[in-house]
Amino acid sequence: MSSMTPFERVSVMTHIKSMKLGRYSWLGISYATVLTAFYVLMFVVPFGTAIWLSFHNWDYLQTPVFVGMRNFTRLLSDSGFWSAVKVTAAFSFTEVVIAISLALLLAFALSHLPAISQHSLLFIYNLPVVMPVVASALLWKWLYKPHGGAINALLEVLGVASQPFLYSREQALWCITTMVVWAFLGNTSVVLLAGINEVPVSILEAAKLDGANVWQSFRHVTLPMIQPVLAYQVVSSIIGTVQMFAPFQLMGGPGHSTRTLSLYTYELGFEVLDLGYGAAVSIAMFILLLLATIFELRRRMASWQ
Amino acid sequence: MRVSRRSANAWNATVHSRATWLLTAMLVIFGVSMLYPFAWLILSSFKTPADIARIPPYLFPETWTLETYRAILGPSASGVDIVGSYVNSLAVTVGTVVSVLFTSSLGGYVFARLKFPGRDFLFYFVLATTMVPFLTLLIPMYIVVDRLHLLNSLWGLVVPAVFSSFGIFLCRQFVYGIPVELYEAAKIDGAGDFTIYTNIIVGMMKPVLSVLAIFTFRASFNSYLWPLVAITDPRKYTLPVALRGMQNTFGSTQYHMVLAGSALACIPPLIVFVAFQRNLVKGVALTGIKG
Repeated sequence: MSSMTPFERVSVMTHIKSMKLGRYSWLGISYATVLTAFYVLMFVVPFGTAIWLSFHNWDYLQTPVFVGMRNFTRLLSDSGFWSAVKVTAAFSFTEVVIAISLALLLAFALSHLPAISQHSLLFIYNLPVVMPVVASALLWKWLYKPHGGAINALLEVLGVASQPFLYSREQALWCITTMVVWAFLGNTSVVLLAGINEVPVSILEAAKLDGANVWQSFRHVTLPMIQPVLAYQVVSSIIGTVQMFAPFQLMGGPGHSTRTLSLYTYELGFEVLDLGYGAAVSIAMFILLLLATIFELRRRMASWQ
Repeated sequence: MRVSRRSANAWNATVHSRATWLLTAMLVIFGVSMLYPFAWLILSSFKTPADIARIPPYLFPETWTLETYRAILGPSASGVDIVGSYVNSLAVTVGTVVSVLFTSSLGGYVFARLKFPGRDFLFYFVLATTMVPFLTLLIPMYIVVDRLHLLNSLWGLVVPAVFSSFGIFLCRQFVYGIPVELYEAAKIDGAGDFTIYTNIIVGMMKPVLSVLAIFTFRASFNSYLWPLVAITDPRKYTLPVALRGMQNTFGSTQYHMVLAGSALACIPPLIVFVAFQRNLVKGVALTGIKG
Protein backbone atom coordinates (compact mmCIF):
# COMPACT_ATOMS: atom_id res chain seq x y z
CA MET A 1 0.00 0.00 0.00
CA SER A 2 2.79 2.43 0.86
CA SER A 3 4.05 2.34 -2.72
CA MET A 4 0.75 3.73 -4.02
CA THR A 5 0.32 7.33 -5.04
CA PRO A 6 -2.39 9.21 -3.11
CA PHE A 7 -4.55 9.15 -6.19
CA GLU A 8 -4.36 5.38 -6.47
CA ARG A 9 -5.06 5.02 -2.77
CA VAL A 10 -8.23 7.10 -3.01
CA SER A 11 -9.43 5.15 -5.99
CA VAL A 12 -8.87 1.83 -4.20
CA MET A 13 -10.65 3.17 -1.12
CA THR A 14 -13.73 4.23 -3.08
CA HIS A 15 -13.65 0.95 -4.89
CA ILE A 16 -13.70 -1.01 -1.62
CA LYS A 17 -16.36 1.31 -0.23
CA SER A 18 -18.53 0.88 -3.28
CA MET A 19 -18.10 -2.90 -3.10
CA LYS A 20 -19.23 -3.00 0.50
CA LEU A 21 -22.11 -0.51 0.47
CA GLY A 22 -22.93 0.96 -2.89
CA ARG A 23 -22.86 -2.37 -4.64
CA TYR A 24 -25.78 -3.85 -2.76
CA SER A 25 -29.21 -2.45 -3.35
CA TRP A 26 -31.25 -1.62 -0.26
CA LEU A 27 -34.41 -2.38 -2.17
CA GLY A 28 -32.99 -5.79 -3.04
CA ILE A 29 -32.03 -6.51 0.56
CA SER A 30 -35.44 -5.47 1.91
CA TYR A 31 -37.31 -7.50 -0.69
CA ALA A 32 -35.12 -10.52 0.00
CA THR A 33 -35.75 -10.21 3.74
CA VAL A 34 -39.54 -10.13 3.40
CA LEU A 35 -39.45 -12.90 0.79
CA THR A 36 -37.27 -15.10 3.01
CA ALA A 37 -39.53 -14.55 6.02
CA PHE A 38 -42.55 -15.50 3.91
CA TYR A 39 -41.00 -18.65 2.49
CA VAL A 40 -39.72 -19.73 5.89
CA LEU A 41 -43.21 -19.41 7.33
CA MET A 42 -45.17 -20.78 4.39
CA PHE A 43 -42.73 -23.32 3.00
CA VAL A 44 -39.73 -24.27 5.18
CA VAL A 45 -41.73 -24.68 8.39
CA PRO A 46 -44.60 -26.64 6.78
CA PHE A 47 -42.24 -28.84 4.75
CA GLY A 48 -40.06 -29.48 7.81
CA THR A 49 -43.17 -30.23 9.85
CA ALA A 50 -44.39 -32.67 7.19
CA ILE A 51 -41.09 -34.56 7.35
CA TRP A 52 -41.12 -34.47 11.16
CA LEU A 53 -44.74 -35.62 11.28
CA SER A 54 -44.05 -38.56 9.00
CA PHE A 55 -41.90 -40.06 11.80
CA HIS A 56 -44.67 -39.61 14.38
CA ASN A 57 -48.19 -40.73 15.14
CA TRP A 58 -50.59 -37.90 15.84
CA ASP A 59 -54.36 -37.44 15.98
CA TYR A 60 -54.22 -33.63 16.35
CA LEU A 61 -55.30 -33.83 20.02
CA GLN A 62 -52.81 -35.86 22.04
CA THR A 63 -49.02 -35.49 22.10
CA PRO A 64 -47.33 -36.81 18.95
CA VAL A 65 -45.53 -40.14 19.51
CA PHE A 66 -42.24 -40.87 17.77
CA VAL A 67 -42.52 -44.08 15.77
CA GLY A 68 -39.34 -43.99 13.66
CA MET A 69 -39.73 -45.51 10.21
CA ARG A 70 -42.95 -47.34 11.09
CA ASN A 71 -45.18 -45.09 8.95
CA PHE A 72 -43.01 -45.82 5.95
CA THR A 73 -42.92 -49.58 6.49
CA ARG A 74 -46.71 -49.45 6.90
CA LEU A 75 -46.85 -47.67 3.56
CA LEU A 76 -45.17 -50.56 1.78
CA SER A 77 -47.76 -53.10 2.92
CA ASP A 78 -50.79 -50.77 2.67
CA SER A 79 -52.97 -51.84 -0.26
CA GLY A 80 -54.84 -48.52 -0.02
CA PHE A 81 -51.59 -46.66 -0.72
CA TRP A 82 -50.65 -48.84 -3.69
CA SER A 83 -54.11 -48.59 -5.19
CA ALA A 84 -53.87 -44.79 -4.84
CA VAL A 85 -50.47 -44.85 -6.58
CA LYS A 86 -51.95 -46.92 -9.39
CA VAL A 87 -55.00 -44.68 -9.81
CA THR A 88 -52.86 -41.52 -9.75
CA ALA A 89 -50.36 -42.88 -12.28
CA ALA A 90 -53.09 -44.20 -14.60
CA PHE A 91 -55.00 -40.92 -14.48
CA SER A 92 -51.94 -38.73 -14.91
CA PHE A 93 -50.56 -40.80 -17.79
CA THR A 94 -53.82 -41.04 -19.77
CA GLU A 95 -54.76 -37.42 -19.15
CA VAL A 96 -51.37 -36.08 -20.24
CA VAL A 97 -51.13 -38.30 -23.33
CA ILE A 98 -54.67 -37.52 -24.52
CA ALA A 99 -54.61 -33.82 -23.66
CA ILE A 100 -51.18 -33.13 -25.18
CA SER A 101 -51.89 -35.05 -28.39
CA LEU A 102 -55.26 -33.39 -28.83
CA ALA A 103 -53.92 -29.93 -28.01
CA LEU A 104 -51.01 -30.43 -30.39
CA LEU A 105 -53.40 -31.40 -33.16
CA LEU A 106 -55.66 -28.41 -32.44
CA ALA A 107 -52.76 -25.96 -32.19
CA PHE A 108 -51.20 -27.22 -35.42
CA ALA A 109 -54.53 -26.97 -37.23
CA LEU A 110 -55.15 -23.50 -35.79
CA SER A 111 -51.71 -22.32 -36.90
CA HIS A 112 -52.87 -22.65 -40.53
CA LEU A 113 -55.73 -20.23 -40.00
CA PRO A 114 -55.65 -16.43 -40.05
CA ALA A 115 -55.15 -14.76 -36.67
CA ILE A 116 -58.78 -13.73 -36.34
CA SER A 117 -60.05 -17.33 -36.66
CA GLN A 118 -57.29 -18.50 -34.30
CA HIS A 119 -58.46 -16.12 -31.64
CA SER A 120 -62.19 -16.82 -31.98
CA LEU A 121 -61.69 -20.59 -31.87
CA LEU A 122 -59.28 -20.37 -28.96
CA PHE A 123 -61.87 -18.31 -27.16
CA ILE A 124 -64.39 -21.15 -27.51
CA TYR A 125 -61.88 -23.83 -26.50
CA ASN A 126 -60.98 -21.81 -23.43
CA LEU A 127 -64.49 -21.39 -22.07
CA PRO A 128 -64.22 -24.64 -20.05
CA VAL A 129 -60.84 -23.44 -18.74
CA VAL A 130 -62.53 -20.32 -17.43
CA MET A 131 -65.10 -22.33 -15.51
CA PRO A 132 -64.17 -23.09 -11.89
CA VAL A 133 -63.12 -26.75 -11.62
CA VAL A 134 -65.65 -27.40 -8.87
CA ALA A 135 -68.44 -26.14 -11.13
CA SER A 136 -67.23 -28.33 -14.02
CA ALA A 137 -67.04 -31.38 -11.76
CA LEU A 138 -70.58 -30.83 -10.47
CA LEU A 139 -71.89 -30.22 -13.99
CA TRP A 140 -70.30 -33.39 -15.39
CA LYS A 141 -71.48 -35.42 -12.43
CA TRP A 142 -75.00 -34.48 -13.44
CA LEU A 143 -74.38 -35.14 -17.14
CA TYR A 144 -73.03 -38.60 -16.23
CA LYS A 145 -76.16 -39.56 -14.27
CA PRO A 146 -77.07 -43.13 -15.27
CA HIS A 147 -80.83 -42.40 -15.23
CA GLY A 148 -81.89 -39.19 -16.91
CA GLY A 149 -78.36 -37.97 -17.53
CA ALA A 150 -77.64 -35.99 -20.70
CA ILE A 151 -74.84 -38.27 -21.91
CA ASN A 152 -76.92 -41.41 -21.65
CA ALA A 153 -79.72 -39.57 -23.46
CA LEU A 154 -77.27 -38.78 -26.24
CA LEU A 155 -76.10 -42.41 -26.35
CA GLU A 156 -79.70 -43.55 -26.60
CA VAL A 157 -80.19 -41.37 -29.68
CA LEU A 158 -77.10 -43.04 -31.16
CA GLY A 159 -78.50 -46.45 -30.29
CA VAL A 160 -75.97 -47.29 -27.56
CA ALA A 161 -77.12 -48.93 -24.32
CA SER A 162 -77.05 -46.65 -21.29
CA GLN A 163 -73.91 -46.79 -19.18
CA PRO A 164 -73.35 -46.65 -15.40
CA PHE A 165 -70.44 -44.14 -15.80
CA LEU A 166 -69.40 -42.87 -12.36
CA TYR A 167 -71.13 -45.83 -10.68
CA SER A 168 -68.85 -48.32 -12.39
CA ARG A 169 -65.39 -49.29 -11.13
CA GLU A 170 -64.18 -49.67 -14.71
CA GLN A 171 -65.63 -46.47 -16.15
CA ALA A 172 -65.39 -43.94 -13.31
CA LEU A 173 -61.72 -43.04 -13.80
CA TRP A 174 -62.22 -42.66 -17.57
CA CYS A 175 -65.19 -40.39 -16.94
CA ILE A 176 -63.15 -38.13 -14.68
CA THR A 177 -60.25 -38.15 -17.14
CA THR A 178 -62.56 -37.05 -19.95
CA MET A 179 -63.90 -34.19 -17.85
CA VAL A 180 -60.38 -33.04 -16.92
CA VAL A 181 -59.22 -33.17 -20.56
CA TRP A 182 -62.25 -31.10 -21.53
CA ALA A 183 -61.58 -28.63 -18.73
CA PHE A 184 -57.92 -27.92 -19.53
CA LEU A 185 -57.56 -28.57 -23.26
CA GLY A 186 -57.92 -24.91 -24.22
CA ASN A 187 -55.12 -23.79 -21.95
CA THR A 188 -52.69 -26.37 -23.34
CA SER A 189 -53.65 -25.38 -26.88
CA VAL A 190 -52.87 -21.72 -26.18
CA VAL A 191 -49.37 -22.54 -24.95
CA LEU A 192 -48.62 -24.92 -27.81
CA LEU A 193 -50.01 -22.51 -30.41
CA ALA A 194 -47.79 -19.76 -29.00
CA GLY A 195 -44.86 -22.14 -29.53
CA ILE A 196 -45.92 -23.16 -33.05
CA ASN A 197 -46.45 -19.53 -34.09
CA GLU A 198 -42.83 -18.85 -33.15
CA VAL A 199 -41.50 -21.32 -35.73
CA PRO A 200 -40.00 -19.14 -38.50
CA VAL A 201 -42.10 -19.17 -41.66
CA SER A 202 -38.93 -19.27 -43.78
CA ILE A 203 -38.00 -22.73 -42.47
CA LEU A 204 -41.48 -24.07 -43.15
CA GLU A 205 -41.35 -22.64 -46.68
CA ALA A 206 -37.95 -24.17 -47.28
CA ALA A 207 -39.35 -27.54 -46.23
CA LYS A 208 -42.29 -27.04 -48.60
CA LEU A 209 -39.91 -26.25 -51.49
CA ASP A 210 -38.04 -29.46 -50.71
CA GLY A 211 -41.32 -31.30 -51.27
CA ALA A 212 -42.33 -31.96 -47.69
CA ASN A 213 -46.05 -32.50 -47.18
CA VAL A 214 -47.98 -31.18 -44.20
CA TRP A 215 -47.32 -34.23 -42.02
CA GLN A 216 -43.59 -34.28 -42.85
CA SER A 217 -43.11 -30.61 -42.11
CA PHE A 218 -44.99 -31.06 -38.84
CA ARG A 219 -42.98 -34.14 -37.88
CA HIS A 220 -39.54 -32.88 -38.93
CA VAL A 221 -39.73 -29.08 -38.56
CA THR A 222 -42.47 -27.95 -36.19
CA LEU A 223 -42.25 -30.75 -33.64
CA PRO A 224 -38.47 -30.53 -33.06
CA MET A 225 -38.66 -26.73 -32.86
CA ILE A 226 -41.35 -26.70 -30.20
CA GLN A 227 -39.68 -29.37 -28.03
CA PRO A 228 -38.94 -26.89 -25.20
CA VAL A 229 -42.58 -25.67 -25.05
CA LEU A 230 -43.77 -29.24 -25.25
CA ALA A 231 -41.46 -30.33 -22.45
CA TYR A 232 -42.69 -27.45 -20.30
CA GLN A 233 -46.30 -28.33 -21.01
CA VAL A 234 -45.83 -32.07 -20.36
CA VAL A 235 -43.99 -31.51 -17.09
CA SER A 236 -46.47 -28.95 -15.80
CA SER A 237 -49.34 -31.25 -16.82
CA ILE A 238 -47.77 -34.12 -14.87
CA ILE A 239 -47.41 -31.89 -11.82
CA GLY A 240 -50.97 -30.57 -12.22
CA THR A 241 -52.64 -33.96 -12.72
CA VAL A 242 -50.81 -35.70 -9.88
CA GLN A 243 -51.99 -32.98 -7.51
CA MET A 244 -55.54 -32.76 -8.84
CA PHE A 245 -58.08 -33.03 -6.08
CA ALA A 246 -61.54 -31.51 -6.63
CA PRO A 247 -62.87 -33.83 -9.40
CA PHE A 248 -61.91 -36.91 -7.40
CA GLN A 249 -63.51 -35.68 -4.22
CA LEU A 250 -66.70 -34.49 -5.91
CA MET A 251 -67.19 -37.12 -8.63
CA GLY A 252 -65.50 -40.11 -6.96
CA GLY A 253 -66.41 -43.56 -8.25
CA PRO A 254 -67.32 -46.64 -6.17
CA GLY A 255 -64.97 -47.90 -3.47
CA HIS A 256 -61.38 -46.90 -4.03
CA SER A 257 -61.61 -47.00 -7.83
CA THR A 258 -60.84 -43.28 -8.16
CA ARG A 259 -59.05 -42.56 -4.88
CA THR A 260 -55.82 -40.76 -5.83
CA LEU A 261 -52.83 -40.01 -3.63
CA SER A 262 -54.08 -36.47 -3.10
CA LEU A 263 -57.51 -37.67 -1.97
CA TYR A 264 -55.94 -40.37 0.24
CA THR A 265 -53.69 -37.76 1.91
CA TYR A 266 -56.67 -35.50 2.48
CA GLU A 267 -58.74 -38.31 4.00
CA LEU A 268 -55.94 -39.38 6.32
CA GLY A 269 -55.23 -35.82 7.42
CA PHE A 270 -58.70 -34.36 7.74
CA GLU A 271 -61.15 -37.24 8.06
CA VAL A 272 -59.36 -40.17 9.74
CA LEU A 273 -57.06 -37.73 11.64
CA ASP A 274 -54.09 -40.06 11.14
CA LEU A 275 -51.79 -37.09 10.58
CA GLY A 276 -48.44 -38.85 10.85
CA TYR A 277 -49.34 -41.51 8.32
CA GLY A 278 -50.98 -38.89 6.10
CA ALA A 279 -47.70 -36.96 6.13
CA ALA A 280 -45.79 -40.12 5.18
CA VAL A 281 -48.15 -40.69 2.23
CA SER A 282 -47.75 -37.06 1.13
CA ILE A 283 -43.94 -37.35 1.31
CA ALA A 284 -44.11 -40.50 -0.80
CA MET A 285 -46.26 -38.56 -3.26
CA PHE A 286 -43.64 -35.81 -3.41
CA ILE A 287 -40.84 -38.31 -4.09
CA LEU A 288 -42.83 -40.12 -6.79
CA LEU A 289 -43.70 -36.82 -8.47
CA LEU A 290 -40.08 -35.71 -8.34
CA LEU A 291 -38.94 -39.00 -9.92
CA ALA A 292 -41.59 -38.79 -12.64
CA THR A 293 -40.60 -35.20 -13.46
CA ILE A 294 -36.88 -35.96 -13.58
CA PHE A 295 -37.50 -39.05 -15.69
CA GLU A 296 -39.63 -37.14 -18.19
CA LEU A 297 -37.24 -34.16 -18.38
CA ARG A 298 -34.20 -36.38 -18.98
CA ARG A 299 -36.03 -38.36 -21.62
CA ARG A 300 -37.00 -35.16 -23.44
CA MET A 301 -33.57 -33.55 -23.07
CA ALA A 302 -31.97 -36.66 -24.55
CA SER A 303 -34.40 -36.63 -27.47
CA TRP A 304 -33.76 -33.05 -28.55
CA GLN A 305 -29.99 -33.03 -28.26
CA MET B 1 -47.98 -17.64 -70.56
CA ARG B 2 -48.83 -14.82 -68.27
CA VAL B 3 -52.49 -15.77 -68.21
CA SER B 4 -51.84 -19.43 -67.50
CA ARG B 5 -49.54 -18.65 -64.60
CA ARG B 6 -52.19 -16.41 -63.25
CA SER B 7 -54.87 -19.07 -63.49
CA ALA B 8 -52.52 -21.60 -61.86
CA ASN B 9 -52.08 -19.19 -58.99
CA ALA B 10 -55.79 -18.69 -58.76
CA TRP B 11 -56.31 -22.45 -58.75
CA ASN B 12 -53.74 -22.85 -55.98
CA ALA B 13 -55.46 -20.15 -54.01
CA THR B 14 -58.84 -21.89 -54.39
CA VAL B 15 -57.43 -25.22 -53.21
CA HIS B 16 -55.75 -23.45 -50.37
CA SER B 17 -58.85 -21.57 -49.35
CA ARG B 18 -60.97 -24.73 -49.68
CA ALA B 19 -58.61 -26.58 -47.37
CA THR B 20 -58.71 -23.66 -44.96
CA TRP B 21 -62.50 -23.67 -45.00
CA LEU B 22 -62.63 -27.40 -44.38
CA LEU B 23 -60.15 -27.08 -41.53
CA THR B 24 -62.10 -24.19 -40.05
CA ALA B 25 -65.34 -26.12 -40.31
CA MET B 26 -63.81 -29.11 -38.50
CA LEU B 27 -62.41 -26.90 -35.76
CA VAL B 28 -65.77 -25.15 -35.37
CA ILE B 29 -67.57 -28.50 -35.05
CA PHE B 30 -65.06 -29.54 -32.42
CA GLY B 31 -65.65 -26.24 -30.63
CA VAL B 32 -69.42 -26.79 -30.65
CA SER B 33 -68.95 -30.23 -29.09
CA MET B 34 -66.84 -28.62 -26.38
CA LEU B 35 -69.64 -26.15 -25.74
CA TYR B 36 -72.24 -28.92 -25.45
CA PRO B 37 -71.82 -29.44 -21.67
CA PHE B 38 -71.95 -25.65 -21.26
CA ALA B 39 -75.25 -25.48 -23.10
CA TRP B 40 -76.71 -27.99 -20.65
CA LEU B 41 -75.46 -25.92 -17.74
CA ILE B 42 -76.82 -22.59 -18.91
CA LEU B 43 -80.12 -23.79 -20.37
CA SER B 44 -80.92 -26.08 -17.44
CA SER B 45 -80.48 -23.26 -14.96
CA PHE B 46 -83.56 -21.63 -16.55
CA LYS B 47 -85.73 -24.75 -16.24
CA THR B 48 -88.44 -25.44 -13.69
CA PRO B 49 -87.69 -28.14 -11.09
CA ALA B 50 -90.21 -30.41 -12.80
CA ASP B 51 -88.58 -29.92 -16.21
CA ILE B 52 -85.15 -30.70 -14.94
CA ALA B 53 -86.15 -34.00 -13.38
CA ARG B 54 -87.74 -35.26 -16.59
CA ILE B 55 -86.54 -38.52 -18.10
CA PRO B 56 -85.29 -38.50 -20.77
CA PRO B 57 -83.83 -35.02 -20.26
CA TYR B 58 -84.01 -32.44 -22.99
CA LEU B 59 -81.73 -29.52 -23.69
CA PHE B 60 -84.09 -26.55 -24.11
CA PRO B 61 -86.42 -25.46 -21.30
CA GLU B 62 -90.11 -25.89 -22.03
CA THR B 63 -90.93 -22.89 -19.88
CA TRP B 64 -88.19 -20.40 -19.19
CA THR B 65 -88.05 -19.40 -15.55
CA LEU B 66 -85.82 -17.42 -13.21
CA GLU B 67 -87.25 -19.33 -10.27
CA THR B 68 -84.02 -21.13 -9.52
CA TYR B 69 -81.93 -18.00 -9.57
CA ARG B 70 -84.46 -16.28 -7.35
CA ALA B 71 -84.28 -19.19 -4.93
CA ILE B 72 -80.50 -19.33 -4.63
CA LEU B 73 -80.03 -15.56 -4.60
CA GLY B 74 -82.84 -15.02 -2.13
CA PRO B 75 -82.05 -14.39 1.54
CA SER B 76 -80.62 -17.77 2.64
CA ALA B 77 -83.71 -19.62 1.40
CA SER B 78 -81.39 -22.32 0.15
CA GLY B 79 -79.43 -22.68 3.38
CA VAL B 80 -76.27 -21.85 1.45
CA ASP B 81 -75.53 -18.16 1.06
CA ILE B 82 -74.42 -17.87 -2.58
CA VAL B 83 -74.32 -14.06 -2.55
CA GLY B 84 -72.16 -13.99 0.57
CA SER B 85 -69.76 -16.60 -0.81
CA TYR B 86 -69.60 -14.62 -4.04
CA VAL B 87 -68.48 -11.54 -2.14
CA ASN B 88 -65.96 -13.60 -0.15
CA SER B 89 -64.52 -15.17 -3.29
CA LEU B 90 -64.19 -11.82 -5.04
CA ALA B 91 -62.56 -10.20 -2.01
CA VAL B 92 -60.02 -13.03 -1.66
CA THR B 93 -59.34 -13.14 -5.40
CA VAL B 94 -58.88 -9.38 -5.81
CA GLY B 95 -56.64 -9.26 -2.74
CA THR B 96 -54.56 -12.14 -4.07
CA VAL B 97 -54.27 -10.81 -7.62
CA VAL B 98 -53.26 -7.32 -6.50
CA SER B 99 -50.61 -8.60 -4.09
CA VAL B 100 -49.26 -11.19 -6.52
CA LEU B 101 -48.97 -8.61 -9.30
CA PHE B 102 -47.07 -6.28 -6.96
CA THR B 103 -44.75 -8.86 -5.37
CA SER B 104 -44.07 -10.60 -8.69
CA SER B 105 -43.31 -7.49 -10.73
CA LEU B 106 -41.11 -6.10 -7.97
CA GLY B 107 -39.52 -9.53 -7.47
CA GLY B 108 -38.86 -9.97 -11.18
CA TYR B 109 -37.08 -6.60 -11.26
CA VAL B 110 -35.19 -7.22 -8.01
CA PHE B 111 -33.91 -10.64 -9.08
CA ALA B 112 -33.07 -9.58 -12.63
CA ARG B 113 -31.40 -6.20 -12.04
CA LEU B 114 -30.44 -5.51 -8.42
CA LYS B 115 -27.50 -6.88 -6.47
CA PHE B 116 -27.74 -8.24 -2.96
CA PRO B 117 -26.14 -11.12 -1.09
CA GLY B 118 -27.62 -14.56 -1.77
CA ARG B 119 -29.63 -13.39 -4.77
CA ASP B 120 -29.22 -16.42 -7.00
CA PHE B 121 -29.55 -18.90 -4.16
CA LEU B 122 -32.80 -17.29 -3.05
CA PHE B 123 -34.18 -17.27 -6.59
CA TYR B 124 -33.46 -20.94 -7.23
CA PHE B 125 -34.83 -21.78 -3.82
CA VAL B 126 -38.10 -20.00 -4.63
CA LEU B 127 -38.24 -21.88 -7.91
CA ALA B 128 -37.52 -25.22 -6.24
CA THR B 129 -40.44 -24.84 -3.82
CA THR B 130 -42.82 -25.37 -6.74
CA MET B 131 -41.66 -28.98 -6.92
CA VAL B 132 -43.28 -29.83 -3.59
CA PRO B 133 -46.96 -30.76 -4.00
CA PHE B 134 -49.40 -28.60 -2.09
CA LEU B 135 -50.83 -31.78 -0.58
CA THR B 136 -47.51 -32.36 1.22
CA LEU B 137 -47.73 -28.93 2.80
CA LEU B 138 -51.48 -29.04 3.45
CA ILE B 139 -51.58 -30.59 6.93
CA PRO B 140 -48.68 -28.50 8.35
CA MET B 141 -50.00 -25.34 6.63
CA TYR B 142 -53.23 -25.89 8.50
CA ILE B 143 -51.26 -26.02 11.75
CA VAL B 144 -49.22 -22.88 10.88
CA VAL B 145 -52.29 -20.86 9.87
CA ASP B 146 -54.05 -22.11 13.00
CA ARG B 147 -51.14 -20.79 15.13
CA LEU B 148 -51.37 -17.44 13.30
CA HIS B 149 -55.08 -17.35 14.27
CA LEU B 150 -56.05 -17.05 10.62
CA LEU B 151 -58.27 -20.12 10.34
CA ASN B 152 -61.87 -19.25 9.49
CA SER B 153 -60.74 -15.86 8.24
CA LEU B 154 -60.48 -14.64 4.67
CA TRP B 155 -56.98 -13.39 5.54
CA GLY B 156 -56.04 -17.02 5.97
CA LEU B 157 -56.78 -17.50 2.27
CA VAL B 158 -54.92 -14.41 1.04
CA VAL B 159 -51.79 -14.37 3.22
CA PRO B 160 -50.39 -17.77 2.11
CA ALA B 161 -50.76 -16.64 -1.52
CA VAL B 162 -49.23 -13.13 -1.55
CA PHE B 163 -45.97 -14.35 -3.10
CA SER B 164 -46.05 -16.54 -6.19
CA SER B 165 -42.98 -18.51 -7.25
CA PHE B 166 -44.42 -18.81 -10.74
CA GLY B 167 -45.09 -15.07 -10.92
CA ILE B 168 -41.59 -14.12 -9.75
CA PHE B 169 -40.08 -16.52 -12.28
CA LEU B 170 -42.24 -15.19 -15.11
CA CYS B 171 -41.48 -11.55 -14.34
CA ARG B 172 -37.74 -12.14 -13.92
CA GLN B 173 -37.58 -13.72 -17.38
CA PHE B 174 -39.42 -10.72 -18.76
CA VAL B 175 -37.22 -8.09 -17.09
CA TYR B 176 -34.16 -9.81 -18.57
CA GLY B 177 -35.60 -8.86 -21.94
CA ILE B 178 -35.67 -5.14 -21.06
CA PRO B 179 -32.36 -3.49 -22.07
CA VAL B 180 -29.99 -2.98 -19.10
CA GLU B 181 -29.01 0.40 -20.57
CA LEU B 182 -32.42 1.73 -19.59
CA TYR B 183 -31.78 0.86 -15.96
CA GLU B 184 -28.22 2.21 -16.07
CA ALA B 185 -29.23 5.47 -17.73
CA ALA B 186 -31.89 6.10 -15.07
CA LYS B 187 -29.34 5.22 -12.40
CA ILE B 188 -26.86 7.78 -13.78
CA ASP B 189 -29.64 10.38 -13.78
CA GLY B 190 -29.83 9.76 -10.04
CA ALA B 191 -33.03 7.72 -9.85
CA GLY B 192 -33.38 5.33 -6.92
CA ASP B 193 -34.06 1.63 -7.43
CA PHE B 194 -37.68 1.89 -6.36
CA THR B 195 -38.30 4.97 -8.53
CA ILE B 196 -36.93 3.08 -11.53
CA TYR B 197 -39.35 0.27 -10.72
CA THR B 198 -42.43 2.50 -10.42
CA ASN B 199 -41.63 4.92 -13.26
CA ILE B 200 -40.03 2.68 -15.88
CA ILE B 201 -40.15 -1.05 -15.26
CA VAL B 202 -43.80 -1.59 -14.25
CA GLY B 203 -45.08 0.22 -17.34
CA MET B 204 -43.03 -2.01 -19.61
CA MET B 205 -44.23 -5.19 -17.89
CA LYS B 206 -47.87 -4.82 -18.94
CA PRO B 207 -47.97 -7.84 -21.31
CA VAL B 208 -46.54 -10.26 -18.76
CA LEU B 209 -48.63 -8.81 -15.95
CA SER B 210 -51.87 -9.25 -17.87
CA VAL B 211 -51.07 -12.94 -18.42
CA LEU B 212 -50.12 -13.30 -14.76
CA ALA B 213 -53.37 -11.55 -13.80
CA ILE B 214 -55.44 -14.06 -15.78
CA PHE B 215 -53.61 -17.04 -14.31
CA THR B 216 -53.72 -15.74 -10.75
CA PHE B 217 -57.37 -14.74 -10.98
CA ARG B 218 -58.28 -18.15 -12.30
CA ALA B 219 -56.18 -20.02 -9.73
CA SER B 220 -57.45 -17.96 -6.82
CA PHE B 221 -61.11 -17.94 -7.84
CA ASN B 222 -60.95 -21.70 -8.51
CA SER B 223 -59.05 -22.50 -5.34
CA TYR B 224 -60.88 -25.27 -3.53
CA LEU B 225 -58.70 -27.50 -1.38
CA TRP B 226 -57.21 -24.83 0.87
CA PRO B 227 -60.49 -22.94 1.52
CA LEU B 228 -62.12 -26.33 2.14
CA VAL B 229 -59.84 -27.04 5.10
CA ALA B 230 -59.12 -23.49 6.29
CA ILE B 231 -62.76 -22.32 6.43
CA THR B 232 -65.45 -24.14 8.40
CA ASP B 233 -67.75 -21.21 9.10
CA PRO B 234 -70.39 -21.17 6.29
CA ARG B 235 -70.49 -17.36 6.36
CA LYS B 236 -66.82 -17.32 5.26
CA TYR B 237 -67.24 -19.92 2.48
CA THR B 238 -65.79 -19.09 -0.91
CA LEU B 239 -67.81 -19.94 -4.00
CA PRO B 240 -66.33 -23.40 -4.79
CA VAL B 241 -66.79 -24.52 -1.18
CA ALA B 242 -70.33 -23.13 -1.14
CA LEU B 243 -71.12 -25.02 -4.37
CA ARG B 244 -69.94 -28.19 -2.73
CA GLY B 245 -72.22 -27.37 0.21
CA MET B 246 -75.13 -26.93 -2.19
CA GLN B 247 -74.42 -30.26 -3.81
CA ASN B 248 -74.42 -31.92 -0.38
CA THR B 249 -77.73 -30.25 0.49
CA PHE B 250 -79.60 -30.49 -2.82
CA GLY B 251 -77.52 -32.89 -4.91
CA SER B 252 -79.93 -35.78 -4.79
CA THR B 253 -83.19 -33.96 -5.40
CA GLN B 254 -82.74 -30.39 -6.61
CA TYR B 255 -79.79 -30.37 -8.92
CA HIS B 256 -81.00 -27.24 -10.73
CA MET B 257 -79.89 -25.26 -7.67
CA VAL B 258 -76.35 -26.62 -8.04
CA LEU B 259 -76.39 -25.88 -11.78
CA ALA B 260 -77.58 -22.30 -11.33
CA GLY B 261 -74.89 -21.76 -8.70
CA SER B 262 -72.26 -23.20 -11.03
CA ALA B 263 -73.44 -20.98 -13.87
CA LEU B 264 -73.14 -17.91 -11.65
CA ALA B 265 -69.64 -18.99 -10.63
CA CYS B 266 -68.49 -18.76 -14.27
CA ILE B 267 -69.30 -15.06 -14.66
CA PRO B 268 -66.34 -13.30 -12.96
CA PRO B 269 -63.61 -15.45 -14.54
CA LEU B 270 -65.39 -15.07 -17.88
CA ILE B 271 -65.33 -11.27 -17.61
CA VAL B 272 -61.63 -11.28 -16.78
CA PHE B 273 -60.92 -13.70 -19.60
CA VAL B 274 -62.83 -11.61 -22.16
CA ALA B 275 -61.09 -8.45 -20.97
CA PHE B 276 -57.58 -9.90 -21.23
CA GLN B 277 -57.84 -12.62 -23.88
CA ARG B 278 -56.57 -10.35 -26.66
CA ASN B 279 -53.16 -10.51 -25.04
CA LEU B 280 -53.28 -14.19 -24.19
CA VAL B 281 -51.49 -15.91 -27.07
CA LYS B 282 -49.05 -13.04 -27.54
CA GLY B 283 -48.52 -12.84 -23.79
CA VAL B 284 -47.92 -16.55 -23.39
CA ALA B 285 -45.34 -16.36 -26.18
CA LEU B 286 -43.70 -13.38 -24.48
CA THR B 287 -43.55 -14.74 -20.97
CA GLY B 288 -40.83 -17.26 -21.63
CA ILE B 289 -43.22 -20.17 -20.98
CA LYS B 290 -41.91 -21.19 -24.35
CA GLY B 291 -38.66 -22.10 -22.51
